[in-house]
Amino acid sequence: MTKSYYEFFCPVKIVAGSAALEHIPYELSNLSASRPLIITDKGVRGAGLLDHVLNAFAESDMEVVEIFDDVPPDSSTKIVSRIAELYRSNKCDSIIAVGGGSVIDTSKGVNILVSENGTDLAQFSGVGVLKKPLKPFFVIPTTAGTGSEVTQVAVVSDTDKQVKLPFTSYFLLPNAAILDPRMTLTLPPHITAMTAMDAMTHAIEAFTGMAKNPISDAYATLAIRKISENLIRVLDKPDDVDARLELAQASTMAGIAFSNSMVGLVHSLGHSLGALCHLPHGLCMNLFLPFVLEYNLDGRGDVIGELLLYLAGAEVYARTPTHQRGAKAIEVIRQMRDELNRRCKLPRTLSETGKVTQDQLSKLADMALDDGSIIFNPVDVEREDALAVLNNAW
Amino acid sequence: MNNNKVKVNPWKRRYVVLMMEVIGRSMEAASQVDRVIRGEVANLPDRLMFEMRVIPNGPALVMVKTDAGNLRYVGTSAPRKVDVAMKFKHLQHAFLVFSFQESTARSFANDRILLDGEIAYAMKIVRCLNRMESLILPKFIAQRALKRYPDLSLPEKLLGGGRIYSQVAKNLIWG
Ligand SMILES: [Fe+2]
Repeated sequence: MTKSYYEFFCPVKIVAGSAALEHIPYELSNLSASRPLIITDKGVRGAGLLDHVLNAFAESDMEVVEIFDDVPPDSSTKIVSRIAELYRSNKCDSIIAVGGGSVIDTSKGVNILVSENGTDLAQFSGVGVLKKPLKPFFVIPTTAGTGSEVTQVAVVSDTDKQVKLPFTSYFLLPNAAILDPRMTLTLPPHITAMTAMDAMTHAIEAFTGMAKNPISDAYATLAIRKISENLIRVLDKPDDVDARLELAQASTMAGIAFSNSMVGLVHSLGHSLGALCHLPHGLCMNLFLPFVLEYNLDGRGDVIGELLLYLAGAEVYARTPTHQRGAKAIEVIRQMRDELNRRCKLPRTLSETGKVTQDQLSKLADMALDDGSIIFNPVDVEREDALAVLNNAW
Repeated sequence: MNNNKVKVNPWKRRYVVLMMEVIGRSMEAASQVDRVIRGEVANLPDRLMFEMRVIPNGPALVMVKTDAGNLRYVGTSAPRKVDVAMKFKHLQHAFLVFSFQESTARSFANDRILLDGEIAYAMKIVRCLNRMESLILPKFIAQRALKRYPDLSLPEKLLGGGRIYSQVAKNLIWG
């Protein structure tokens, strides 16, 4: 590649490890903030996770001014406006998002409105519309998967107009991501597995994709190793603090990798399947991952082969002849999926989901072609190719 | 007076200006005669206007979907806010794409293009561009310009390419 070029950007401070939450008051004061609004959902609150965050403010000279704990799984501009109102009426000066993808995207929307002093979120939709830094914003992920804590995008639905508004700006990146093992300790096994496979897919697609670069490769490979070594460990022993933290870090690292190197066909198909059949994103990733790698194997076998080292370790890698490493890497992923299916009933094929019909495959192929991620897949994908992968995944 | 302002090679600018018009007129013609491109355009909203532009000062290529379901080359500036914009960050980046040294996909992957507007429409437009290039360009150039050169039979290529060229000529003569 003589004309290679890349960009890499991640200004998010990572605050990770034991007693990480207790660093929040100091980090807020560093940004001259002292009146945070917490945005979260009922699940997080019900699991008692918010208490860890609130307790972290003890012995500090600031307190959480207000808590909004009612973000639904599919958030909307209406919710964003309501929370922005809450922020203003309580004279807050910073936002802490505690939750998964929906809570984080909602919080990014709220930050746009309160920082720009706006009321209509749609006005700020698009690429590079925001021109100045937003209010201090921290993210505490409670799932280890989406990587939203290190991405510069957010999607919020406008339920009246039935459209999804995309937002892209460097200013949507939080000032800090706080990874505290306590926050993912109680995540149920099947959600742990699904979200980990989302993170695994982020790392694998970033590493094998068209926009890969040496810096994101470093994040991606370590993320793959951490997930391979710790996912089953966590399922065996859900309260293993170290293994939980490893998964949380892996998810963030995979997020950094893919927000710089993009994702590919697994996501194109997964976005389509998620939208058409309302299946969780991580489940869709787990489902398509090996079939897409098989499709890419011909054109990208060497790079896929490198994955084996991180998926299976040095011994297996050394024992496998170079030209077989790609196929072996896919085999290891299939074994991992079998194990997840045995333990948490995670479907491995479209038919196993019980929610997809064969006559939907054609529509899914059309939708996947229009998904932006497909352009970064290392091998070009035409309609028949997408359909073939879907049929293989049936 | 500030003498630090360097001008890019004027030849390069002229080349990109010329190629943008060639691409625009070829797309217009292809949308009238090629079955595959017609199929893609059919799924774009009526009167969708899109542009490829070099920021900050152009050149640019603006196209619109007509009521008849074709694409029409509008020119180098848009009469209204466009629905989809693909913006090259620098003239050099547009030059790499239009001199077929870098595919559109590679240019996206290299962060050289900013995309504004509905991504699904942009993807359809990119597919039209690729298809048109595969038809009108000699194979050895198209192989570099595209992520994958499609399996076109020789008659399909000659017929498709030839029909686009003659349609460009017709459009130029008859308007
Ligand atoms: Fe994902």
